[in-house]
Amino acid sequence: MTRTPLRPLARILQARAKGENPDVIERENIRQRHEQMRDRQRHLAEGRLLVLGAFFFVAFIAVGLRMGMISASDPTEPRASGSADSQILNQRADIVDRDGNILATNMATYSLYAQPQQMINPVAVAKDLKKIFPDLDLARMERQFTGKRTFVWIRKTLSPEQMQEVHDIGDPGLLFGPREMRLYPNGHLASHILGGVRFGREGVDSAELVGVGGIEKVYDNWLRDPANGGKPLVLSLDLTAEATVREVLKAGMDMLHAKGAAAVLMNVHTGEIVSMVSLPDFDPNERPTPKPTKDPGDSPLFNRAVQGVYELGSTFKLFVLAQALQMGLVTPDTVIDTKPFRLGGFLIHDFHNYGSQMTVTKILVESSNIGAARMAQMIGPEKQEAFLRTLGLLNTTGVQLVEAEGAKPILPPKWTDVASSTIAYGHGLAVSPLHLATAYASILNGGMRIYPTLIKTDHPKVGPRVVSEKVSATARAILRQVVTQGTASMGNVKGYDIAGKTGTADKPDPQGGYYKNKVVSSFASVFPARDPKYVLVVTLDEPSDGTGKDAKRTAGWTAVPVAAEIVRRVAPLLGMRPQVETASLNGVKLAQN
Amino acid sequence: MSYLEYSVKTIPSGLKKVLYVNWALVILLSAVCGVGFLMLYSVAGGSMQPWAEPQVERFALGLVVMFGIAFTPIWFWRNMAGVAYLGSLGLLLLVELIGTVGMGAQRWIDIGFMRLQPSEVMKISLVMLLAAYYDWLPPKKVSRPFWVLVPVVLILVPTALVLKQPDLGTAILLLLGGGVVMFVAGVSIWYFVVVAGMGAGLVTLVMMSRGKPWQLLKDYQFKRIDIFLDPGSDPLGAGYHITQAKIALGSGGWTGRGYLQGTQSRLNFLPEKHTDFIFTTLGEEFGFLGAFSLLVLYVLVVAFCVSAAMQTKDRFSQLLILGVAATFFFYFAVNMAMVMGLAPVVGVPLPLVSYGGSAMLVLLAAFGLVQSAHIHKPRGR
Repeated sequence: MTRTPLRPLARILQARAKGENPDVIERENIRQRHEQMRDRQRHLAEGRLLVLGAFFFVAFIAVGLRMGMISASDPTEPRASGSADSQILNQRADIVDRDGNILATNMATYSLYAQPQQMINPVAVAKDLKKIFPDLDLARMERQFTGKRTFVWIRKTLSPEQMQEVHDIGDPGLLFGPREMRLYPNGHLASHILGGVRFGREGVDSAELVGVGGIEKVYDNWLRDPANGGKPLVLSLDLTAEATVREVLKAGMDMLHAKGAAAVLMNVHTGEIVSMVSLPDFDPNERPTPKPTKDPGDSPLFNRAVQGVYELGSTFKLFVLAQALQMGLVTPDTVIDTKPFRLGGFLIHDFHNYGSQMTVTKILVESSNIGAARMAQMIGPEKQEAFLRTLGLLNTTGVQLVEAEGAKPILPPKWTDVASSTIAYGHGLAVSPLHLATAYASILNGGMRIYPTLIKTDHPKVGPRVVSEKVSATARAILRQVVTQGTASMGNVKGYDIAGKTGTADKPDPQGGYYKNKVVSSFASVFPARDPKYVLVVTLDEPSDGTGKDAKRTAGWTAVPVAAEIVRRVAPLLGMRPQVETASLNGVKLAQN
Repeated sequence: MSYLEYSVKTIPSGLKKVLYVNWALVILLSAVCGVGFLMLYSVAGGSMQPWAEPQVERFALGLVVMFGIAFTPIWFWRNMAGVAYLGSLGLLLLVELIGTVGMGAQRWIDIGFMRLQPSEVMKISLVMLLAAYYDWLPPKKVSRPFWVLVPVVLILVPTALVLKQPDLGTAILLLLGGGVVMFVAGVSIWYFVVVAGMGAGLVTLVMMSRGKPWQLLKDYQFKRIDIFLDPGSDPLGAGYHITQAKIALGSGGWTGRGYLQGTQSRLNFLPEKHTDFIFTTLGEEFGFLGAFSLLVLYVLVVAFCVSAAMQTKDRFSQLLILGVAATFFFYFAVNMAMVMGLAPVVGVPLPLVSYGGSAMLVLLAAFGLVQSAHIHKPRGR
């Protein structure tokens, strides 16, 4: 800045010479300088102002544009993704039946917890909660809410109604945590197969679901593996068949005053279990906690079809028959001596006296223990044991239930002649109904060993061959006669030729020996007899038909009619056509116009 | 312009002052407040209680305060600037000691008929003091380091106190408002460039350190920054407000659902629907046209202020008006940007529309100062 000196002497003299007052000039100069400075200042300020105005304008445009963009956008609800807590959520895969019907799925729900320090009126809150959840302990809640605790769990899951009621209490100390719960929409159906879950690691915002029984436990890792991309686990079960079998079995169990019942319906060629029911059962949505009872078999959690090992009686006669036929020791018409005999001090006798000689067919049809024991003697203990082993009767079934791992057959301590003879008619070897179904299917499906599975499969594990096709067909023909002429005559279902064998076994008394009037009655069968598709095993625990003078307990009166009713109802559901017996066309005249 | 011309200018006095009130500005402000009443009536589900009626009462009180301030000569206010600043600072300290805790932050002092938020008062006091400071300071000293340091300290002390409450939104408004006054006062542009550069450098350094061995912040702190900057990444957590607000604005479309027909706000999807996020209700019920109209009203208010600042030659008046206008501008710009997801959620109300006594009174008082500057401007006969 160039400065003009305030009072240069030359200028003052100049001014004086012109007769002007230098003071006035000087004041004018100062004033002009001030104005200049102020103008510069204002100029600067106005420049800055313009910059600011431009900035305002740009911001205004940005906000306006954004407003327009959002207005033009479609409103979409946000979805949870990616945050750490939400990863626990919605991870467990669904379980569906072979047709895709939901057996187990997840439902979003809420847990209830309290932060007592935030509560306005802890005592009133405790009282209100007690009204909504009568099972909560009022005194304990009051103690917790008024104490020093900062966090109290109240309920793990809430129904929407309960949540609304708690919400209406309106206390800021009551809080809801979102979580998923496992939902089994079919209630009791397939409860033993599905098992159930419990909450594992729990947080306020989520909780982990852990399988505790059945398929939920065996497939726990698979169901929780995000790598499966939410694919459901497809079971071999048919929900409709399962419901029907359960309904019929339940009615039969109640009618026959049995304390328990089990049924297995399985594809004879693939081993896929279409239906498996054990009664009594439970609701996996509220899986009961196991209570220590005298007999674990009395718990509803106990799966009789898989865990229950029983001496299954005369149903075992098929095994000696098949082996004797396979080894060429007998033909259906071979005559065998059936006089009672002693073996190592043990008398082997029959329920009825059928005479001193019977054909092999007749032994099965009338269910002669003596005949079966004789055939076992022909076979010999080692070969019998080996055959039963190939049928899977001496090991666990390997089905995908956690309970199956513990269900080992009870074997005789030594495979003696006596043991061999009694096992021939089903005493001395205890197996589960699923074992029996597997062995029946393996012999009667044409002779190929199958392995029971609960997972739907296109590539079933099959083999080795256990008997020839011919032996399989012969055995079926004989078992068909059991139904048409023998002990299972109540099992004849028109259109679906059932071939099967009854079995009534005295229940062993834990004190030693056998009960006089407690039996396990079973019926193992395949249908249709000529070209079997399914194997069905029905077992009733301590049945008693009180209709007649004497209580009837034998399988022919108990398990067989139940099984027949199951086939009558289920076969159409499984898409099987009734086979019309071809009547001769003699005497039938076609109508002619 | 000669000295004679200058001296004939006069300043209105007595009842004449009424004629020189900037009535257009008064009407604009009333219109903005009117929008506020409508929206508060709507978010209460079509009821004057609990928000619309108190807001109207405070508006009436605010108008009285505004005119009271407007008719008091501007030089009186210039002389009061220091007192106002010290008083506000005292209140800020007081709130530290006895303040009421609200929404997890300590911000209010209960003074009987209303709750006073000293940080709101401070916004205006700071602008007043800075304007008075630059009016007093000879222009040639404006850019000298010491004389730059003084206002910086004057700004940073209340900012720090507000930040401690914690109230990030108000702290940012204080910084921005003070910065604008300094900028317009003519502080060398290089100071701003250096401060901005240093800030940007620091941020870059911190963000670059991520994942490196010399990482300056903890991982969870970075995560918080991420969510703060982009609430959309956590739509159900930190970004909940934003997502719901966007839904509300989006469902409003161009013309809106109609008055009292908004669902997002009425069905309680939106927290803070009557305060910081009231703009979404406007957007939902009146659509883009309604929201944009409010934006235009705001911009007109700012434009009238800027024009009034251009007209006056008094340095204090000019800086004060601009400071008030800038504060007002940042208020609504930050709020709208926040609601629309352009800026992080920092908790700034929509000026004169959001429910809240302190903000309404303080803003109307500030516009009283603007009016005072406008009225007491020397003008020709």
